Amino acid sequence: MTSLDLLFLVSGLTLVVALVLGRQRLTAPLLVVLYGVQFAALIHTGTLFGDPVAASFGITVLDQPMHWRYDALSWFFAMITIGAGFFSAWYAAGVWQSAYAKGGQSPWLFHVALAANVFAMLVLLGSGDFLSLFLGWELVSWASFLLMALGGPASGRAALRYLTYAFSGAMAILGAMALLYTQAGSLEYAQVAAAIPTLTNTQVWVLLALFGSGFGVKMGLLPFHLWQAAAYAETPGPGSAFFGAISSRMGLYAIMVVIVAMMGVTRLANMDVVFALVSARDLLAWIAALTIILPTFTALQQHDARYLLAWHGIGQGGYMLLGLVTGSAIGTAGGIMHVFNHATYQAALFMAVMAVVHRTGTADLNKLGGLVARMPLSFLVMLFGIIGLAGLPPMNGFVSKWMIYSALITDGMPLLFVAAIVGTLGTILSVYKLIHNMFLGQLRIEHEQVREAPLSMLAPMLALATLIFLSGLVPGPVLSWVAEVQRVVGLPVVNYSLGGVIDPRGSLDMLWLVGILMAGFGVGALVFFGFGGKSRRVHQLDNYAGGHFLTAQVRYQYSDNFYAGLMHLIGPWYRGAFRWLEEAISALVDLLSYAMHWIYRSVQPLVFLLAATVAMLVWAGV
Amino acid sequence: MIPFSLETILYTCAIGMVVIGVFGLVLSNHLLRMVLALSVAEAGGNLLVVLAGYRGGAIAPIIGYAAPGTLMVDPVPQALVLTSIVIGVGVEALAVAILIRVYRAYGSLDLRLLVERMQGDMAKAAGIPRTTSTHAPAGERPLPPIPVGARHQPDAVGHLAPEVQS
Amino acid sequence: MNSSALAWVVNPALPIVLPLLAAFLLGPVTRVSAFVGRLLGPLTLAICVWLIGELWLAHGGEPFAVAIGTFAAPLGIVLYVDRIALLFAAAVPIFALLFWPWEVSGERATRESALLLILVASATGLALSGDIFNIYVFYELVAVASFGLAASNATGQAYVATIRYLLQSATGSLLALIGIAILYLKTGTLTLAHLAELAPSTLHDPLGLAAFALLLIGFGVKAEMFPVNTWVPEVYATAPARVSALLAGLVSKLAVLVVVRLLVLVFNQPEASQLLLVLGALGMISGELSAWRARDFSRMLAFSSIGQLGMVFIAFALPGEIGVLAGLAVALHHLVLKSGLFALAARWGGSMEALAGLGRRSPLAGAIYVLFALSMIGVPPLPGFWAKLVVLVALAQQGPLELAAMGAILVVTAIEANYLFRLAVVLYRKGGAAAVPASGVPAPALGAGLVAPLLCLTLLAATVAIVPVTEGLRSVARQTVDVAGYVRTVFPSAQPPLARKEWP
Repeated sequence: MTSLDLLFLVSGLTLVVALVLGRQRLTAPLLVVLYGVQFAALIHTGTLFGDPVAASFGITVLDQPMHWRYDALSWFFAMITIGAGFFSAWYAAGVWQSAYAKGGQSPWLFHVALAANVFAMLVLLGSGDFLSLFLGWELVSWASFLLMALGGPASGRAALRYLTYAFSGAMAILGAMALLYTQAGSLEYAQVAAAIPTLTNTQVWVLLALFGSGFGVKMGLLPFHLWQAAAYAETPGPGSAFFGAISSRMGLYAIMVVIVAMMGVTRLANMDVVFALVSARDLLAWIAALTIILPTFTALQQHDARYLLAWHGIGQGGYMLLGLVTGSAIGTAGGIMHVFNHATYQAALFMAVMAVVHRTGTADLNKLGGLVARMPLSFLVMLFGIIGLAGLPPMNGFVSKWMIYSALITDGMPLLFVAAIVGTLGTILSVYKLIHNMFLGQLRIEHEQVREAPLSMLAPMLALATLIFLSGLVPGPVLSWVAEVQRVVGLPVVNYSLGGVIDPRGSLDMLWLVGILMAGFGVGALVFFGFGGKSRRVHQLDNYAGGHFLTAQVRYQYSDNFYAGLMHLIGPWYRGAFRWLEEAISALVDLLSYAMHWIYRSVQPLVFLLAATVAMLVWAGV
Repeated sequence: MIPFSLETILYTCAIGMVVIGVFGLVLSNHLLRMVLALSVAEAGGNLLVVLAGYRGGAIAPIIGYAAPGTLMVDPVPQALVLTSIVIGVGVEALAVAILIRVYRAYGSLDLRLLVERMQGDMAKAAGIPRTTSTHAPAGERPLPPIPVGARHQPDAVGHLAPEVQS
Repeated sequence: MNSSALAWVVNPALPIVLPLLAAFLLGPVTRVSAFVGRLLGPLTLAICVWLIGELWLAHGGEPFAVAIGTFAAPLGIVLYVDRIALLFAAAVPIFALLFWPWEVSGERATRESALLLILVASATGLALSGDIFNIYVFYELVAVASFGLAASNATGQAYVATIRYLLQSATGSLLALIGIAILYLKTGTLTLAHLAELAPSTLHDPLGLAAFALLLIGFGVKAEMFPVNTWVPEVYATAPARVSALLAGLVSKLAVLVVVRLLVLVFNQPEASQLLLVLGALGMISGELSAWRARDFSRMLAFSSIGQLGMVFIAFALPGEIGVLAGLAVALHHLVLKSGLFALAARWGGSMEALAGLGRRSPLAGAIYVLFALSMIGVPPLPGFWAKLVVLVALAQQGPLELAAMGAILVVTAIEANYLFRLAVVLYRKGGAAAVPASGVPAPALGAGLVAPLLCLTLLAATVAIVPVTEGLRSVARQTVDVAGYVRTVFPSAQPPLARKEWP
């Protein structure tokens, strides 16, 4: 029994425990412990800094072998998966679960779905050939469907939409696998990797289109992104934290395995789009860039905090792909590290939002405000989260984004750099709207009695916030993992130090950076608290504005149509083009099916028989 | 120039019967006519099978009818056709039996009407509302037919409502 | 069992004759004793299962041929027993037992049981026969039995659906008869083995292809082939669910078996395969797209059945052993799947909106439906995925027409996933109409209640034992495409039979 078997065993055990014992009260903490054990088992495989570990079992069906193995890339994603599962289960194990059950839902199903998701993802990450990749892919898709469909009717609709997209993507992958088998004679990674250099550019284009569509659907790349926001937002509680953290990155894992490792960025750079001046690599880069910009500016307009965060999740995936296709050491390191960073702050943000929903009963940004006075720790977590999401120092998001910007500039892709910056601008704007509408401003009367989030929710939130800050302050350990991943995938390895990266064209040292930042804050604090006058605490409404005193009954909070000026400028650009595309395809299917149904509704079907007979006799040559 | 041998004429007749039968099936609107057309077509088909075994100038395939060594027509297709005719008779009898049941259920053998009624009954049995305008016309159902001899009095709105004489 | 006392059991004619005898004895026996009459049918079917088991054991999977009435081929009729024939001949009584009309009583029970026994007898004959006209006769018997069964609900719409089915079937059979006439004209024989020998020299011309086209339309009616499958949604929606299960699951596969025998043995030409591919692709596309619009469960299943059988035809159109393997995998998977789904439809027939919330009330039924749906669209590790994978991989290795068919299969499967899980989401909706048990819901029959879980278990067993199942299917496929072996088994003597018979 190898260490990989042990990992699968523990993960399967978690699922079985959730299934069998899930209705007991003490099972939820037990599950959290089991996720911790899974993490320990993962570390025990030792495959990050060591050799790949293979599972001891495998099946061969119809001469197609399926086997599983873990290397550093799998380790990286598995670490994030188990971590996300751990924190989500921790969050769900306390007060949230009781509130969920009181609302008429089933926490048992939730834990089963979460455990199934983690198990399926671990299986996917261990795939050793395309067949086991597809098996894992389908398991992940259906486990996600289960977790998504657990909410009310809105989540059922969103889950069905997800299913249609996901299954179409899976069919594209299956088609690409069949074509690949024809060319390579086998579905093993090694044989396929050896066969790809022998393929013509057209064949690689077809494979790129099919695999790219299939994996891109899961990742939420344009134009396959429409399902993700509603599906992730409507998932109950910590489920959306889990999804936002890691679920779409399974698509990125598959892209790294197939497109980056096997096809290679250089091959893509040599394939030109017909009649255009761009190569396949540029095409991917621009798709990533558009994925950054468009969903982020859609997030600006959302009223529901969960939808806002879900749209951001789509956008950040674009950064990861953009970093990967630069192909340089720093750029790819930025892309890969962004997976980890995004997981931490997306989970933290969703958890903070869910805590507010738990206490106030709403996630509507136009119905909240001023909660910093009642929920300061949640505010702190959200503050850390949005600084990370926006990519500002001293949080970890800054490190990965800096690396991506640096790679874009030094590799001579200024337009993409501008696109990334525009995306960051959108991010900063919309996360400020999030934190302002929720926590800052005027507290509503009905929220006067709101208390801080319960400890069972606060603990994982604060742990994640600490992680965000620490990995931003000292990115060295995370960069060491990233370097191992780069080595395994065949990308140039980044030269990292404890505080950041070392590069002749421009280094980054977060220790110095944060030190200077804190020193600056320290100077400011000294001036403010030391030399400034004594401050007095007053009530928020002890104020005078515009000719009268403020009262609590009047709403002074500026929240609705937050960026009115900006929307006035860019509003006309929101044409809903992708929704139109989706509706056009649905209408086409509807039309075709109406036509087919007309055949089966005909009064005299023998006409078709006669026509077919005559046609076939003519075809036969009689 | 196609020689007008007996064989050609017979083939033409057989194929012609099949064509007449099939066109009758396809163009017909009355179920009984379709069944009759089917029997014509089947007769043509059977004739074709018999013709497949025909040999010019041969005699009937009965042992002892002529001297051994005389050319006989192929007996196998004739045996096949016997079976085939019986099958045809059975199927037609079953078809007519079903037609009787159809007539008892719906009172008509017109194909268009029957398909419409069948679709309607299937939808009703499944509990699916039919929502196209021909099935669910907007507005009120039309008034029932006015019986003969009823006196017509306009009501307040101006509609003619019948006063049926008792 | 090698004792000579029971050697007469190993006769492939017995599983054909016994149900036929029982069918006609059913009336008199029921008049004498109702109890014995109720049991006679299932007893006969159990005996048939045992007989087929004996046939398998006696020859251990090696093919053998039996001449009926000691008239040797090519003059007499031959019953040919090989693995694929035994596979389908075993499926017939088993599925007939699963879908036996237990809940019907009285005069109607006698009628339906007799019809079902005739169906079993002629279906077994279809599987075992080695003579093309014999196949035609059994095919007509199957048709007549199915007409009677299709009308067994005795409602107006059932009768109309039956008569439309009858007219379509009879027209198709007529065309098949003309095809047989052409075959006889060109080769002078009706035995499949003899035809296989003579085919390369006589049937590779336009007239031969025309014969194939006519035979395909004729036998394609039962096999739900485009464009002669318009009877399918009407009959499956108006007949009782167990009859639909038998027609969709079992009878269609036997018709497909006939087409496959013709394709492999007699019409082994690329044009014939291409025709089958095109018709299969059209059937699949039209069936699945129409299923997307369906609003009641039975009709959705009917259209989905058309679509899946289209895929079966695409699979069988692939050349060589891999084609037969792929087709067999999809066909057998569909046999289990569709029968199980129609068993569910016995209680779920009707508008799909009326099923809202049913998954919460009966979790077992909901889970069974979800499992069947997952296998139908091909989610690993269920057997449906493996069947589809074999088809896709084999298609990708052929030419552009097959690549287009592969693309069609992929697109159509995505649409299939949508409509199947649209129903699944409805099933698990909270507060749906069916979430509260209705007072007037009729209790399910013993059979219908057990059949769906049983078939679901079969599917799961096939998932776990996927390797032995696929290896077994591969050996069946290998034997099926061995044309030389077929001819050798029927004509064991070394000297070739008469090329074209010359009568004095």
